[in-house]
Amino acid sequence: MNFLRTIWERRDLFANLVARDLKQRYKGSVLGFLWSILTPLFMAVIYVFFLRLLAGRGVPTEDIIIGVFAWQFTMQCVNSGMTCITGNANLVKKVAFPRIILPTVNVAAGLINYLLSLIVQFALVAILLGIKGSGMSGWAVLVPVVIVYHSLFNLALALFVSSVNVYFRDTQHLVGVLLSAWFFVSPVMYNLSFAEHLAARWPAAFDLYMLNPMAGVITAYRALIIPGVEFPWSAYTAAGLLIPLALLWLSYILFQRLQRYFADML
Amino acid sequence: MTTAIEARNLGKWYRVRGMGAPTLFGAVSQRLRRQDPGKFWALRNVSFDIPQGKTIGVIGPNGSGKSSLLGLTAGTITPSEGYVRAQGRISSLLELGAGFHPDLTGRENVFLNAALLGIPREDIQRRFSHIVEFAGLDEFIDMPVKHYSSGMYVRLGFAVAVEVNPDILLIDEVLAVGDIAFQLKCLDRIREFQRKGKTLLFVSHALQTVEEFCDEVFLIHHGQLAERGNPSDMILKYIRTYMGEGGGLFTQEYGTREAEITGVTFRDETGAENAVLATGKPMWVDIGYVAHQRIEKPVFGYSIKTGNGFYIFGSNTQLAGHSIPFIEGEGLLRLKIDPLTLMHGNFFLSLSIHSWDHTRQFHRREDWYPFAVRNASQEPGLFQLRSAWENLFE
Repeated sequence: MNFLRTIWERRDLFANLVARDLKQRYKGSVLGFLWSILTPLFMAVIYVFFLRLLAGRGVPTEDIIIGVFAWQFTMQCVNSGMTCITGNANLVKKVAFPRIILPTVNVAAGLINYLLSLIVQFALVAILLGIKGSGMSGWAVLVPVVIVYHSLFNLALALFVSSVNVYFRDTQHLVGVLLSAWFFVSPVMYNLSFAEHLAARWPAAFDLYMLNPMAGVITAYRALIIPGVEFPWSAYTAAGLLIPLALLWLSYILFQRLQRYFADML
Repeated sequence: MTTAIEARNLGKWYRVRGMGAPTLFGAVSQRLRRQDPGKFWALRNVSFDIPQGKTIGVIGPNGSGKSSLLGLTAGTITPSEGYVRAQGRISSLLELGAGFHPDLTGRENVFLNAALLGIPREDIQRRFSHIVEFAGLDEFIDMPVKHYSSGMYVRLGFAVAVEVNPDILLIDEVLAVGDIAFQLKCLDRIREFQRKGKTLLFVSHALQTVEEFCDEVFLIHHGQLAERGNPSDMILKYIRTYMGEGGGLFTQEYGTREAEITGVTFRDETGAENAVLATGKPMWVDIGYVAHQRIEKPVFGYSIKTGNGFYIFGSNTQLAGHSIPFIEGEGLLRLKIDPLTLMHGNFFLSLSIHSWDHTRQFHRREDWYPFAVRNASQEPGLFQLRSAWENLFE
């Protein structure tokens, strides 16, 4: 694929930009990288507490931790992807290099961050499961597959928002609103058992729910890591898993078309 | 000889309206109102071939499309019509230090910048000390570049950019950076590129430098390639036809206007009107003026600068001991320079009328009148010195 060749040819640049991204992410903060673990952990604690308080029913803490870390990865890719072209206007206007490197760098840096935070996440989940007297599921060895898949989905989103934001600066505001709606329709701070009564009353609505790639991705993580969690295979969940690939293809074409006039619009 | 850069019917337009940050609302309302976005052609119908190994200068007034031409050649801007193709590796000195990140140190930025320009990491590692030395930043290389002065910033950018071993080098006004010593180093580096047979495309307002370095000059005006030809002819044409149009960059005018300079005529040794003078021959400048009131003992002054703005000489009627009792109404004054000791090149004449005690400037036209000097002898340089040789050995 052309895209992979481009990245390979400019791997020096790619590596340099990823390093720059990671360095600048935590420059000037005392805790540095720790924040990418602390933030989702705080969020997880908040969700566990308030969900129990307000909904009157709990969600296993390990479910929430997995959901929050995965969500954090996607959100970071979307948010930093949004400004990866507009924020590098000087570079884009003055230096000729493949523009597609910029959103890809963002996702790569986000991925490295995510992988590092996963170490902590796995340790925590193992402890929590250990307290309950069980261990991690053997299927957990397949988690890397989901990570790759999740990253491709994030890349599709980053390509889309980064290029569209150059043409319409409304994108950042719109996406902000959409992200918070998306947060609630994805099983981040709850698990699929919360959607059960929805499934019982309107099976069609549940099918629609599972078309959301984030629902598929987060549930896949849980199904692989936590023993006893089943992935609800159906034609719709399978279709939901195909959406990211289709989106990646479309976003790639869109990005390559739009990038021709980036320099004019910045 | 192979072609290094080939352009055919190259054009680039921008929207006149909606140039700011685009919004969805703006786009929709424009559609609804059927508003014509209004095209502004920054460059149009430009076709040329540049043979390999040539240095081409691009001159023209501000906003004439010079930088667009370079941007299109570098590939940072996509053409609206036509194409430009370059054979071989291009490096551009368009914006030095573009891509420097303020929080990273000079060292980290060198590697980042090199990667942007496509220089292999090993090459930069090998040449690192050389780069730092060239930029003159030994002690500061591990300091975040946000603490650099603008000169240090640009010097480091240049030092990295010339490490690229390009086939084609695009240069946009960057030689006007840094102090004199650094500028000379830069010019040396440019000459080295020329010796190695690289193709250079060179945008500059420093006309003297253009004339000195370029094999050929493109004259760009209103987005068109108005003419191309040998440097001295093109520069002369440029300053005589278009200068002043760019607005205030080269020329300025001020004064209280009790007396005004109305017209100036350059004459050669035959007395004929001619703004192309010859070295070693007389040069006459007829200065027409009008005094709106009687002015006692006025002083007329002149000065001459090179195309790069280098001040060569200035004098006035007072210093020359030529007394003018008074002026009133229209009149004509002749400045005689004999012999003209300036050498080949383009020059600017400034004229002024002021009061005898220099307290009042009636009228001053700075760099207002361009003229050219042609030199028949083979001698190089800026001035002709009256020199002779004598054998002293037996």
